[in-house]
This record gives sequence, C-alpha cells and structure tokens, in this order.
Amino acid sequence: MDNSEVQSKVVEVIGRYAKNKDALDSVTADTNILEDLKVNSARLVDVILDLEDEFDIEVEDEDADAVNTVGDAVALIQSKVA
Amino acid sequence: MGRIEPLGTNVAAAPSSDSAEIDLDLPFRDRFALSFQNVVGRILAVIWLPAAGFAMRVVMRYRVPNVSEIRRRYRRMVKEADSPILICANHLTMVDSAVVAWALGGSWWYLFNYRRLPWNLPEQTNYGFNWFNRVGVWILKCIPIRRGGRREDVSSALKRVQYLLTRGDTAIIFAEGGRSRSGRIELDSVAHGMGRIMNSVKHCKALCVYLRGDRQLAYSAVPARGDSFYVDFELFQPESPHRGMRRSRDFANQIAERLVEMEERYFARRK
Repeated sequence: MDNSEVQSKVVEVIGRYAKNKDALDSVTADTNILEDLKVNSARLVDVILDLEDEFDIEVEDEDADAVNTVGDAVALIQSKVA
Repeated sequence: MGRIEPLGTNVAAAPSSDSAEIDLDLPFRDRFALSFQNVVGRILAVIWLPAAGFAMRVVMRYRVPNVSEIRRRYRRMVKEADSPILICANHLTMVDSAVVAWALGGSWWYLFNYRRLPWNLPEQTNYGFNWFNRVGVWILKCIPIRRGGRREDVSSALKRVQYLLTRGDTAIIFAEGGRSRSGRIELDSVAHGMGRIMNSVKHCKALCVYLRGDRQLAYSAVPARGDSFYVDFELFQPESPHRGMRRSRDFANQIAERLVEMEERYFARRK
C-alpha cells in the first residue's frame, strides 16, 4: 500500500474526531493532528485504535508517543504493515 | 535498562499477571532527579506532613467517619497486596490527592512509611504559575503534567510514575482527565494514562478510591470547610485479552467502570 493510499485512510479516520473539519481538505504529511485538526488529546487514543482496526495492526503506547502529525501516523502504519 | 521488576515485593507470591513486557527505559538524569526530590521531600516531611494534617483537621475541619478503621484496612490491604499499587480515584476538587492520602494513611504513618505517601500528577497549568508553587508541589511528591501537552512530555511523566511504582513507591492518578464537570464520573473522559501505567508495571494493582464530601454537589477548587468525607476503596486487578494500546484502554475503562459502581453505591446509601 503506498503512502498516499495510507494517508487518505488516515485522514478518513481522523476526520471522525477532528473538530476542524475545514482543515481536512488541505491535509499534508506535516499537518499536526492535535493543533491543526483540533483533535482532542484524549481522542487521539481512539484515532490510533481505529487505525489498528483499519490496517489490522497492533500499536504500543510508546509507538503512539511519536504520532504528532499525519505523516507520523502514516510512517507508523507503514512500519507495522511492512 | 531492561524491564524493571518491582523492588521490595514478593513477586513469586504475587498473583500471575498478564501485564505487557514493556521496556521502562528511564534516563539516569530522571532517576537521579526523582531520588533527589524524594530525599528532600522526606527530610522536609517532618515539617510539612504534620502541617498538612493540621490544615485538614483543624483549619479546614475535615472529617472522615471511621477513619481509624479505614486506615487499618488500608494498611492491611497494602501489606497483603505485596505488589505495586496505583491509586485510581474520582476527581472533584483540586486537593483530592491530599485528602485521599490523608484519609488512607494519616500524617504520622506517612512519616515512617514515606514510600506509601502517593506521588501525584497535578495539572501543570494549575500549579506552575509561580516559583513558590512549583517548589511547593515538588516537595509534595508531585510530577506536574500538562494534559493535552506534547506527547513526549506526557509520556515522560508517565514513565517516571511507572519507574516509581516498580521501585515500591505508591502513586495516585485520577480516573478522569480533569475534575468531573458533572459531579459524577464521566466515562467519556477516562484518562488513558491510568491504563497505560497499569499495563506497563508487572503485578500492579489498582486501588480504586471513591472519595466525596457530603456537601460536594459538583466540582470545586476545594471541599467545603467542615465537610465530612465518604471513603470507599478496593483493590482491583484488571484483566484483558488484548495487547498494546488496546489493552491499556481496556484497563483504564475497567477501572473507571469499577469507580462508577462505587459511585452508585455512594448515591444508593444517600437515598
């Protein structure tokens, strides 16, 4: 699965929790999930768990610490599905 | 540094645990800082622990019915558990951690059992606005955390608590990310960090504590002067078929649900 395909699925998942829906149209790898998309920090766990289901992967808490941007999420998923 | 086994506990005698094998790699700098904080706090505890007890009992006139029985039960429970204990409590006021500690242990007991005085994770923005407060909470075994802050910082604070628990210390964390705005435990606001700590410390048990002043209708800064506190607590070891982050979430939810049951018991008694 290439990065753009993964990213579009990631954006779809984040979109369920993002308060700034307008920003979803202009997401890049550098888009910060909490600050730019206004996802509540407590909901970031739900985002990661939804990504686990979406990509059939398993994420540790420590792995999730590195997820700040959409690109971080994509990189994490690619490292797990590889 | 590999995975840390709890010190001062009889691991062989502890019940089998499914806790994940997680590497608690706490830098030497952090370990030294915690040890230094612990030593300074312990020395000054001769002053501040009795003063805190005086403030609760005399200045604020707080009361805990059957406090002697509660403390006896808590000490027996801690001794028999023989494992790391994370106190998981409901959260209605900014001094809940102090009231919980006082209700369970008492100032004099903590003087001689300083490890059992729980480390606390206060919200940094509530206390960190001046130098005096920052030093104060540092002495009072606090590890400030900024909820919703940089994930690396939150992770670092949680790792320090994990390390302290494996060392045989006690810590307190609130089941919700902040004080309950509704006055009841809100399952939508369950703090994931609670489950994460439980998931990473082998044999760790949650001491679920439900504490509420009789005049505490909703959340507030401090309980009303002269309030009488209902205290209920029980040891709980969550189980989960999952792994990783999902397991941490499962643990956090189970602890929060246990607290909700305790809250329902509290309100049933008041009817």
